[in-house]
Amino acid sequence: MESKNVLVVGSGISGVASALELANAGVSVYLIEKEAVIGGHSASLCCKATDICSKCSACVVSDKIKEAVIHPQITLLTNSTIKGLGGELGNLHVEIIQQPRYVDEERCIACGLCTEVCPTDPKAIYPPFAEATPFSYILDEGLCLRFKGERCDLCQGSCPTKAIEFELKPKERELNVGAIIVATGFDVFDAREKGSLGYGRYPNVLTGLDLEQIFTREGYLRLPTNGKEPRNIAFIQCVGSRDEGHGYCSQVCCKYAMKLAGLINYQNPDTQVTIFYIDLQTAGKGFAQFYEKYKESVRFVRGVPVEILQTISGELEVRFEDISQGKVCRDNFDLVVLSVGISPGKNSWDLARILGINLADDGFFDIKHPLSSNETNIDGVFVAGTCQGPKDIPDSIAHGIAAASKAIQVLAESASQGRGN
Amino acid sequence: METKIGVFLCNCGGAIKNIDFDAAVKKVAKFPGVTCVNLSSDLCLEEGKKKMISCIKEENIERVVVAACSPEFQEHIFRKVLEKAGLNDHLLSMANIREQCSWTHDGDVTEKAVELVKMAVNRVRLLQPMEKKELPVNREVLVVGGGFSASNTVLQLSRVGLRTTLLEKEAVLGAGTEELESFYGFDTGSMISAVEVDKNIEVLTSAQMTEVGGKIGDFSVRIRQEGGEILRKYGAIVLATGHQTELALDSEPQLRAEDEAISGLNIVSQEQFCCMLGNSGLETEPKTIGFMFDFSDENSRFTTLATLNNALAAKKKWGSEIYVFCKNVKVDSEGMEKLYREARDCGVVFLKSEAPPRITAENGRVKIEAKDVFLGEDVILACDVLVAEELYLPAEGAENLSYLLSIRRDSKGFFQDENVHLYPVGSEKKGIFFIGGCRGDLDLGRVLTDISSVVMKVHELLSSGKILVELERVKADPQKCVACLTCIRVCPHGAIQLVRVDGSKEVAEISDLACDACGICAAICPAKAIKFQGYRDEEILAQIEAIQEL
Repeated sequence: MESKNVLVVGSGISGVASALELANAGVSVYLIEKEAVIGGHSASLCCKATDICSKCSACVVSDKIKEAVIHPQITLLTNSTIKGLGGELGNLHVEIIQQPRYVDEERCIACGLCTEVCPTDPKAIYPPFAEATPFSYILDEGLCLRFKGERCDLCQGSCPTKAIEFELKPKERELNVGAIIVATGFDVFDAREKGSLGYGRYPNVLTGLDLEQIFTREGYLRLPTNGKEPRNIAFIQCVGSRDEGHGYCSQVCCKYAMKLAGLINYQNPDTQVTIFYIDLQTAGKGFAQFYEKYKESVRFVRGVPVEILQTISGELEVRFEDISQGKVCRDNFDLVVLSVGISPGKNSWDLARILGINLADDGFFDIKHPLSSNETNIDGVFVAGTCQGPKDIPDSIAHGIAAASKAIQVLAESASQGRGN
Repeated sequence: METKIGVFLCNCGGAIKNIDFDAAVKKVAKFPGVTCVNLSSDLCLEEGKKKMISCIKEENIERVVVAACSPEFQEHIFRKVLEKAGLNDHLLSMANIREQCSWTHDGDVTEKAVELVKMAVNRVRLLQPMEKKELPVNREVLVVGGGFSASNTVLQLSRVGLRTTLLEKEAVLGAGTEELESFYGFDTGSMISAVEVDKNIEVLTSAQMTEVGGKIGDFSVRIRQEGGEILRKYGAIVLATGHQTELALDSEPQLRAEDEAISGLNIVSQEQFCCMLGNSGLETEPKTIGFMFDFSDENSRFTTLATLNNALAAKKKWGSEIYVFCKNVKVDSEGMEKLYREARDCGVVFLKSEAPPRITAENGRVKIEAKDVFLGEDVILACDVLVAEELYLPAEGAENLSYLLSIRRDSKGFFQDENVHLYPVGSEKKGIFFIGGCRGDLDLGRVLTDISSVVMKVHELLSSGKILVELERVKADPQKCVACLTCIRVCPHGAIQLVRVDGSKEVAEISDLACDACGICAAICPAKAIKFQGYRDEEILAQIEAIQEL
């Protein structure tokens, strides 16, 4: 086969899965990521194992990311975005713009000396999250005194490997590729948009993602207000899914809510967890068995509350319709978790315009035909993962692999046509 | 002569402050076999690696200990350093003196760091080199099934240049595509002709597997056809045998008999209903139609999709009153919520109840009684046609196939274990893959994803005609093996078989290609005949001894 490169845009789990498959098949891959660390949303999720594995797939993600970073066939470009596209099928020219990192990821040894000496509060140079890859420190332009015109260079002086460099400008480069895989992922629904649920106003109203990050960071759950163990927790499903603005099911929330409820109950069997739902999405391999187990300890209530009020004592009063009694009821909880869904990425629109690919009316990238997964209206440009529609981690991985498959079929065909001419 | 061990300590650019490195270097230098101790502050950077390589070469070091940060970050870097210095990359042991020592404790931890180094030194002395080799594989692929997924798989495999055999037990291809045709306008005929003209595809109809042997890259398959039996070799096997459905009405046996006596059309399956919709010469159009799903089985994605599509089509064609009874609407598939909305907007009524409805016959119609949770009241409906709940089951013959290939099935009888989040389309045996309905309740989008994923995986394995493996990573010692078969029973990957040595004795042999290096056999072997390189008992015990001595 003719040696051709593939560009993968976005380094979440589906982008990484695509890149790895292509790389293992001998294709050179450019993996570009707009953030400083790779892995996307999936890299910040917590392990939800109790005495047994709950099959949440969080561990799969970090393994795959590490594999991608060290793969010799993958060129990783962080802080990079696409500026333009030219060329034709089989030979696409992509203009990339790479923002400076200021900390050289090849030289940073994550020793932490720079953070120690940084005079700002909060620190302007810090490590990314625990499982981040590459584990190179990040310099925050918004906080760094240097970028406010002051002459501070304490971190630069303390760095034993001379990894910090301030005078860097954005770099532009052009890549020639045979195919493009768009795997830009999703945005988490901003629960503040549902004002009546009180997120952002009441400290004890959290989102599912907040909870994931608390478990990743601390390993256990405490109330944000007083640090005590919560006794009575409510999960509210379909926040930002299956409503007027979101005509789709996010596919992940029922699973993560039940698995987090399982983890909370495992850590403290006395904690009462209630899940308010519209329809429970319990399909999928092996999940029915988990659901049978959760039914014993978790209270499931059909119907989604629309209002939460904080009482004087700091408890959260949830108003919901009790269908069995046919009237509006009020229950008090000390913690409410909003199971926020998957929203289309805010940057999808820009990328769609640059690449010329279509967006569906729900805001996700459109596919050519229901019978052709991954293929967009532009030949040679494929979509993978949640930028095309909500998916859980295993489905995102599979979708990423499928996109790689489509890309390699295009490469194989353009190679055989090349020989034919 | 004693093996020369080189120890490389790194203080992480001076950031590890609670270890007295000068003292540590002196202590480490006294360990037996250690011929050279180096202190560096930038071992993982280019300059550090260069120094390390030249030191290994100059001092003729044979084994290497690196005492630095977590192997999670840097082990792969140091393995490459060893390769560049001309050593086998498995002769490396790492002591994590940063994350597991310096960062976890307050105060001076020099002593613990030295202990960790001593453990690594004791281990590295016993490590054995491992060679890599490319083993040849057969590039032909066997795809079992003849429906939508199997046919599309062979077509896509052909596009990446792989030759395939399509093995279908029926006489013709294209079974089970009726619903695709009516819902998505799919053209079965053109798919079949595309398969038939493709030079990379061989089609065997009315054919079945009768015996499978071998392993990834070299499966030997006996196929029975009408003319007789043939023996073929394949590099990989893909199962796309699909699913079947069964009406979940076993609790009402009297009804089925009665129903047939009444008209034969009152209680139907989704597929039968689809045919009714396609039949223009229907005597009377049903005025009231009931649907049921999601009571007997949580895995109801497929039946939900069929119900929504059929209900919409019936509403459009006949304008019937349609009532759908269900527990939960499974909308966690692409486009499903939209379809659900469309159905409601068209006037399809959804009634949700926790318990399955009671179904009886009344005056030639089907009577459905259920307690609707939203109304809080019992609903009684007499309908002309009831599209009954369907159970989604693996296709006939799945059990036989799983036996032939010795692969596990899940609790519902589908291929693939429940623990599949690691390999969406893989099996526990390398080189065997599953697509679509035969591995569980999947909607169309997921089936399409499966097809392309398998094509990618197969291409990756077989396209080059060879696979790079580490030789004898897990090995059974023929002297110690007593052929008790324990390892063969526990190996989830089917990587172990008995081979005859020295004329009469039979011993276990582990295939480097099929082995996944999980280590189960090494742990369980009663005769301690199986060794897992890097984790042999001697290596673990030597590390424990290192702490006892200090």
